Amino acid sequence: MDHFPTNWGRPRNDLHDAYGTYPIHQHPQHAPKDAFADGVKRTQQPIVTGTSVLGVVYKDGVMLAADNLASYGSLARFKDVQRLHPVGNHTVLGVSGDMSDYQYIQKLLEELVIEEFTEQDGSILGPAELHEYLSQVMYARRSKINPLWNSLIVGGVKDGQRFLAYVDLLGTTYKAPTIATGYGAYIAQPLLRKAVEPYTDVLTEEQAQSILEECMRVLYYRDARSLDKFQIATITEEGIRISETRHLASSWSFAEGIRGYGAQTQ
Amino acid sequence: MEYNGGSVVAMVGKDCVAIACDLRLGNQALGVSSNFPKIFPITDRIYLGMSGLATDLETLRERFRFRVNMYTIKEEREIEPQTFAHLVSSTLYEHRFGPYFIEPVIAGLSKTPSGDLKPFIAAADLIGCLNFAKDFVVSGTASAKIYGLAEALWEPDLEPEDLFETISQTLMNAVDRDAFSGWGCLVHVLTKDKVITRTLKSRMD
Amino acid sequence: MFDVQSVAHQGPQSRQFNPYTENGGTILAIAGADFSVIAGDTRQSEGYSIQTRYAPKVFQLTDKAVLAVNGFSADGKMFVKKVKQRLEWYRHAHAKDMPIRSIARLIQTMLYSRRFFPYYVYNILGGIEDDGTGSVYSFDPVGSYEREACRAAGAAQSLVQPFLDNQVYYKNQTAGQDESFPTHLPLPSVLKLVVDAFTSATERHIEVGDGLEIYVVLKRDSTAIQSMEGVQEVTTSEEGQRVFYIRRELKKD
Repeated sequence: MDHFPTNWGRPRNDLHDAYGTYPIHQHPQHAPKDAFADGVKRTQQPIVTGTSVLGVVYKDGVMLAADNLASYGSLARFKDVQRLHPVGNHTVLGVSGDMSDYQYIQKLLEELVIEEFTEQDGSILGPAELHEYLSQVMYARRSKINPLWNSLIVGGVKDGQRFLAYVDLLGTTYKAPTIATGYGAYIAQPLLRKAVEPYTDVLTEEQAQSILEECMRVLYYRDARSLDKFQIATITEEGIRISETRHLASSWSFAEGIRGYGAQTQ
Repeated sequence: MEYNGGSVVAMVGKDCVAIACDLRLGNQALGVSSNFPKIFPITDRIYLGMSGLATDLETLRERFRFRVNMYTIKEEREIEPQTFAHLVSSTLYEHRFGPYFIEPVIAGLSKTPSGDLKPFIAAADLIGCLNFAKDFVVSGTASAKIYGLAEALWEPDLEPEDLFETISQTLMNAVDRDAFSGWGCLVHVLTKDKVITRTLKSRMD
Repeated sequence: MFDVQSVAHQGPQSRQFNPYTENGGTILAIAGADFSVIAGDTRQSEGYSIQTRYAPKVFQLTDKAVLAVNGFSADGKMFVKKVKQRLEWYRHAHAKDMPIRSIARLIQTMLYSRRFFPYYVYNILGGIEDDGTGSVYSFDPVGSYEREACRAAGAAQSLVQPFLDNQVYYKNQTAGQDESFPTHLPLPSVLKLVVDAFTSATERHIEVGDGLEIYVVLKRDSTAIQSMEGVQEVTTSEEGQRVFYIRRELKKD
């Protein structure tokens, strides 16, 4: 809730002070402009974007989930986009952020996989190697101040090792038993931590699936840039399975009772 | 808060409380005075410390003196630490949208129904949000450093002399790492039958 | 060619890309007479979100040097990678590990070479010098460095460093009659201080917590660590100094 009445009804910058925690005189919009801003080379911004991706480690492998929407700002522009991308037989890449940068990453990975295949040296790229490669690409691009505007989750199983890791447009990386990008980091991550993290070695495929589906449902209710159509990728020792598009059941009857915030009174 | 600098801390002990401040008054980076206490007695068993803008400190000291006098006359009894804390809070909140730049710290001994004296500490932010802690409260430019030391050095049920050593070490080592605080310290330890007041020498750089 | 003029007049809707972020956490190192202790918490965060509860910030470089990095984690990872690479090249060229004072100078030049697009990391290097003394070197992001007996850096530096001044350098304390403070603390006391520093920082700083990793670099003939529990030896060679690893849990809230 923004506590400053002067801001009510105005477009809000969600990146800065969403909770109105600053006194008015040091509120972001009153702040002096960055003195260097004009002299610095400006980079792109994301155009067509995908929202959250979720990833969990469970008993037999790793599971990723992402919806099928690619938004153009607030417009739901493409509603049948697959954001889970298989690489080789051990790895799936889940992508949020700019979709054209995603297609460029797909191209890079295809070239990489072909090049590695033609070596015929008996070694295959696993999830750890692909994550390292993507980290280097993302970090190199951010260092050129020309980032690939994405948050990526790399999930996979190879040689009996489950692997789940993250890399984003800054080249920031980490591994964790559950990972969520975008709004998922705020909305789904706490649910996943509670439902998955203590049970990564006992959770069955069915349980992991229903947890992910529930998180996708919560995201569909709360994230305005999400869709009720999503896919799940399951990676086990046996290989990769990416599901058909699934539909999320949801009920909006409660919305009738909401009478709005702020100026809307009746 | 960095205009004049300064820090205050208060701690609870066994049947005693301590409150301490540094003695610096600055004009931004320039040191102006090395004898500027920031703690004032309100009653025999309430001490108020204030850090922040020195001019507001003087104003509020007089304002609290006035309000406490009015309370004493009206009620015909001394104000209790809890009541005084709320007086401080509401005084600051009256200026919610143009605040006094002061973070107060209160240390006192409050009367229980049985007639005993119980240690009491509290602190507030510049618009009067109260914090009744059971261990210690801090304020001022060295607050993060005081937190680090207090969290490591403080323990429950310290006797007055041990509490004095703990609060002194906490404050001195904290202000030595703060450019805006230091230049000597002032410590009060309130016990049932007396108040121990000591001025500490410390680094003068 | 990129046209700065025309882009500058595009208007306010284009957002400036910021190539840096802060990933929280705190690191700390203390040198003893014949050992050095290097520690860091394992939480990685961005803003108010915890990204992971286990991301190491302390790395063993050689059998006598350990490096702790804190700040922007992507820069930190890349920097450690490049330091390790330079140390490997040194090994191939000179058939020995680089002395720690040379590693310190190497880190300075590597950091300063990026003076105008810095690695946003605070480094603390700990280990054993060629003369057998424990040492700690601390750096700022552009390479200013100094050898010290103890140093804290990162999110909770302001909470931890004054505590170390008090407990390691005995600042504001005076020894009793006919007593004196030790110039170097024994290893068990140092380990206690490290654990206390991190539990205190965890209590009062939201970016510190989850886990604590401590590396101890010990002069080979020292006997200081024999009776410690939960200590894992991670020494890499027969000739160099001995290295030990200790892990402790920290609060996760």
